[in-house]
Amino acid sequence: MSRSNLVLGSLRELGTVALVAGLCGTYAAVLMTTSSILAATSAQTGGSEGFVLSIAAGVFVLIALYVGVVVIINCVDTVIAGRLRQIALLRLLGSRGADLRRAVMRGTAAVGSLGAAIGLVVGVVLTHGIRLVLVARGTLPHAPYPLLSGGLLWAFASIAAAATLAGWLGARPVLSVSPAAALSGAAVAAPCRRRASVLRATLAALGILGGGVMLGVAAWLGETHPDMGFPLAFAGSVASGTGLLIGARFVIPAAVAGLSRLLGRDPASVVARRNAVLDPLRTTRSTMGLVIGVTLVTTFATGMDALRRSVASWDLPADTQAEAERVLAMTSTILICIIVISAIIAAVGFVSTMSLSVVQRHREIGMLRALGFTRSQVRTMITKESVALSTTAVLLGLLLGLLYGTLGAQSLVGGMSPGLIWGVPPEAIAAIGVGGLVLVIVASRGPARRALRVAPIEALRIDS
Amino acid sequence: MPSIQHAQPVVSLREVTRTYGQVHALDGVSLDIHRGAFTAIMGPSGSGKSTLMNVAAGLDDATSGQAFLAGADLRALDDDGRTRVRREQVGFVFQAFNLVPTLSAAENIALPFDLAARRIDGETRAWIDHLVAVLGLTDRLSHRPGELSGGQQQRVAIARALASRPAIIFADEPTGNLDSRSSREVLTLLRTAAQEYGQTIAMVSHDPVAASYADRVLIIADGRVVGDHGRLSPQQISDLLIGFEVGAA
Repeated sequence: MSRSNLVLGSLRELGTVALVAGLCGTYAAVLMTTSSILAATSAQTGGSEGFVLSIAAGVFVLIALYVGVVVIINCVDTVIAGRLRQIALLRLLGSRGADLRRAVMRGTAAVGSLGAAIGLVVGVVLTHGIRLVLVARGTLPHAPYPLLSGGLLWAFASIAAAATLAGWLGARPVLSVSPAAALSGAAVAAPCRRRASVLRATLAALGILGGGVMLGVAAWLGETHPDMGFPLAFAGSVASGTGLLIGARFVIPAAVAGLSRLLGRDPASVVARRNAVLDPLRTTRSTMGLVIGVTLVTTFATGMDALRRSVASWDLPADTQAEAERVLAMTSTILICIIVISAIIAAVGFVSTMSLSVVQRHREIGMLRALGFTRSQVRTMITKESVALSTTAVLLGLLLGLLYGTLGAQSLVGGMSPGLIWGVPPEAIAAIGVGGLVLVIVASRGPARRALRVAPIEALRIDS
Repeated sequence: MPSIQHAQPVVSLREVTRTYGQVHALDGVSLDIHRGAFTAIMGPSGSGKSTLMNVAAGLDDATSGQAFLAGADLRALDDDGRTRVRREQVGFVFQAFNLVPTLSAAENIALPFDLAARRIDGETRAWIDHLVAVLGLTDRLSHRPGELSGGQQQRVAIARALASRPAIIFADEPTGNLDSRSSREVLTLLRTAAQEYGQTIAMVSHDPVAASYADRVLIIADGRVVGDHGRLSPQQISDLLIGFEVGAA
C-alpha cells in the first residue's frame, strides 16, 4: 500500500491542504523576513523592534498553524466520510487500516511541504520586493540586509509537521471502516464518534471558569495596578480561550442548532439544519477556525478602540492627543493586518469543507430533486447550511472578541478613566459582517451550482 | 380513494426517442400505462428500461416524441414544472439511497407533503398510520435511515411513495439490494397496493421473479418495446428474456 492517492486523491481535496500550508508559509516568511529586516535597521539605530517582532512573529505563526491544522484535519475527515465505500473496498482487497491511515498522512505531509515551500518562497520574494522599493524611496536606510533567516527553516519544518499531524489525526476514522461494508448495498454508515469524555468537559469548564475569574480580577486590578492587571488579563484570555477550544464541541453544535432554528420550517431549511448539525465534531471543526479568526480580529479591534476612547477622555494637550490617536490607529491597523490571516485560513477551510460535503452529497441531492425539490430549493438548502454555520461562528467570535478586547483595555488603563469603557469598533464589526456575508456567498454559490448541474437520474445510478 | 378510471392513461408515450450522443437509448417507444395497473418493465442491462422510466417520470427529457404524465405534457414543461409534476403526481422507490439520511423515518414519509406544502389532514394521517402499521414500521418511526436494515429502509420508501397516493409509483429495481425474504415482502406489498388500493405502479427490473408479481410485463430491448404480455410466470419471463438475448447475439 504505497500509493497515497487511493484515499485522498483529487486535486480539490489536496488543493485545500496545499493552499492552507502555502498561506501559512507566506505568512511566516513575511513576518520573519520583516523582523530580520527590522533587526538589521535597528542594529544601525540601536532599537529593538526587530527582536520584539521576531518573538511576536513566532506566536502569530503558531496561531495561524493551529488554525491550519484544524482546517486540514477537517478537510481530510470530510474526504474520508465521502469515501467510506472506497476505503471499505480497499480493506476488502487486503489493505490494513493502519496502512491506509499512513497513506493519508504521507499525502498531506507531501502536499503540505510543497505548499509550505512555495508559500515561504513567495513570502520572502514579496517582502524583499517591498524592502527594495522602500529602500529606493528612502523610507528604509541602505544596510546589509540578510536575504534569508534561520527562522524560515523552522517555519518550513513546523508547517510540514503540522500538515503531517493533521493528516494523521484526520485519517483516524479510516481505522473503523469494516471491509464487509463494501459488500452491502446500502450506503456505508459513518463510523460512530467516540463520546466526548468527562475529562474534556472538566478541563473545558476549569479553563473557562478559571479564565473568566482571572479576567474579572484583572479588570478590577486595572483600576489600581495596571502593571499586574494586563498580564493577568492576558493569562485569563489564554486560559478561557483554551477552555473554549477544548470545550468547543459542547458549545458550537448547540449554538449552530439553536441559531439554525431561525432559518425556517420549510423542507429545504429543515434538511439544511440537519446537515449543519449532522456530525457535531465536523460542525465544530468547520466553524472553530472561523471563531478563532473572528475572535482575534475583534479582540484587537475592540481593545484598540477601548484604548482610543479612554485616551479621548484623558486630560491631554490637543497635539499630544492627536499624536496618541494617530499612533493607536496605526498600531491597530498593523495588528489587525497581522492577525487577520487566521481568519482567512479559516475561511478557505470553510469554503472547502462546504464544497466537499456538497460534492459528496450529490446522490442525496439527486434524490431530493427526484422527489420534488426544485432547483431553487436545493440552492436555498445549501445557502442556509452555509448561513447557519458561518453566522454562528461570526457571532460567537464577535461576542468573545468584544469581551476580551474590552477587559484587556480595562486591565491596562482602567484607572485612567471612570468605569468600564466598552470598545465598539464600528469599522471592524462592519468589515467582519461584510466578510461573513461574502463568505456565505462564496461558500454556497459554487457548490450550489455544481449540485444543480447533476441531473437527478445521474445521482441515482447505483454505481455513481 | 380515487375511483379507477380507464379512460385516460396515467402515462402515455408516443414515438419517444432519447439519444445520448450517438447512442439511441430509446428508439420510437409508444405505450400507455393505465390506472391501477402494476406494470413490470423488463430488459437486459443497457436495453433502455431505466431511460424509459426516467423519461416517463419526468426525470429526463425525451429527444423527440410526446410524453404525458397524469395529463401533463412533460415536454412542454421546464425543469421547475416537471419538478412540480413529480412532487404532486409521482412516488419513487429506488434500488438504494432512497431516504434522506438526516431525516427520521417519519420525516422521510412526510417529505412529499412538506415539499408540496400540503397539510396532512385527518384522513391522510389515518392512511399513513395504516401504512406504517401494515409495513411493520410503527416502532421504527423515530429512527434515522442509518439505523434501519436494508429491508426496513425500502419499506419506509414504499410507505413514503404510497402515503401521498400519487397518480403513479415508479420503482427502479426495488429489490435489487434485498435478501430473498425482504424481496418477497416488498413485491407482495407492491402487488397489494395495486390490487387493494388501486395504486398504479411501474417497476423496472431485470429479475423474472420480481416481474412475475406484475399484471403486465413489458420487455424492452435496444430501446424498443419488443414484448407486451399479461401476467407471466418467472419461468415464462426467463424464457422470453433468454430468447431475446439469444436472438440479439
